Amino acid sequence: MKRQQTLDRFALDLIIAKTFQYNYFMINTMKAIYALTDILTLALKAGLLAHKSGAGTHRTSLIIQRTAKALGAVQVEVVISSTNIGATIEREHERETGFRKAPHMGVNFSLLTSLDDWLLALEKNPINAKDAQLALDKIAQAKVHYPRSVVTLFVGLSCGAFAALFGGDPAAILMTTLGASLGMAVRFQLVLHHFKPFVFASVASFVALFCTGLLRDFTSTPDTAMAASVLFLIPGVPLINGAADLLNANYLNGIVRFTMSAVIILGIAIGISLALRILGI
Amino acid sequence: MYTPWLIELWAAPAALGFALLFNVPPKALWMCGILAVSGHAVRKLVLIMDGDMVFGTLLAALLIGIVAELWADRHNQPGVIYAISAAIPMIPGKSMYQSVQALLGIATMSAEADGTALLVAAGVHGVKAIMIVLALAFGIAAPLLLLPKRGRS
Repeated sequence: MKRQQTLDRFALDLIIAKTFQYNYFMINTMKAIYALTDILTLALKAGLLAHKSGAGTHRTSLIIQRTAKALGAVQVEVVISSTNIGATIEREHERETGFRKAPHMGVNFSLLTSLDDWLLALEKNPINAKDAQLALDKIAQAKVHYPRSVVTLFVGLSCGAFAALFGGDPAAILMTTLGASLGMAVRFQLVLHHFKPFVFASVASFVALFCTGLLRDFTSTPDTAMAASVLFLIPGVPLINGAADLLNANYLNGIVRFTMSAVIILGIAIGISLALRILGI
Repeated sequence: MYTPWLIELWAAPAALGFALLFNVPPKALWMCGILAVSGHAVRKLVLIMDGDMVFGTLLAALLIGIVAELWADRHNQPGVIYAISAAIPMIPGKSMYQSVQALLGIATMSAEADGTALLVAAGVHGVKAIMIVLALAFGIAAPLLLLPKRGRS
């Protein structure tokens, strides 16, 4: 009985030892087996996802570097401009360069979180590059958590909350929520039809301000309500990321993000001015 | 002169609407709300203690940035998802609105009128908005800027 146990234990040890040896062997050889092109494709794909989901320049650059290095690249140089990302990766006597168009799309923090997890897993266990590729595709195709109608209502409520923070009365909060929800619904529709930011900002701000302005007789703080009703369009993430880029010594990208924000704010202003003229304020 | 303290709680829905728009993971939502309320309350506290808006925003953003980073480190998440969502209620939307309003006033004034006051108003509100945004960004990026060696976030 006792002898049987010892034998079993010995067999188990042997299996564990073999597995480790095998894994060690795999890691050492597989790293070298990946073609540089495949490494670059995966790294650029990860970087593109980060860039499109609202990551700052610094974060996107880090993600590309870490992905390429985890898979065996020795030297990684990254270029991130406003609308392109690119990288050159090197290993011994090989060198590979690639670029991708990277339009600013929107913000998706769930995707950024999954991307972080994905990268950590890849760094811990780089032998599964094929799995990593599949996992990345899955992350890219993951659905957003919240249905559009819910987002529309809550963004409207956000603007109502802004009215409250600015000292508006309950009527002002209600009408701001209503106007901003309508504006947000319009914005979603226009974005779906691929209108440029300048166009959707002016149309959506017009709708939001016009609807809020029509109800202005119900409140004693109409100015607060109308100022808050267009705040859902203020490009908060580009503004913060732009300033962070400047402070982080990514001057060009910082200026580009600020300029993007300025164009959206100009669009909002045009919508506001049209609405105010029609309302006769 | 100041709005009541209870008003500060409105910072939570203000942040949450945008958190939904930014597709923040559902498990992280409550922390965004808490950070938003505490940040906004810190800024109000500074204003009550005779501090100015820019300094108040800086302190609030530092608090948000550091807490978000510590919290995110413990849960292996990027800190920005908390920090940016919580900073949204402090974006100086009202100053931007007033600045643009003043500029539009120039467009509608008569040919002989003097637009100096409007220009000054637009400039003052615009500069204020820019400084507040910079203070916000510095506070949020502070963990990264001041500890660059960590190579994360």
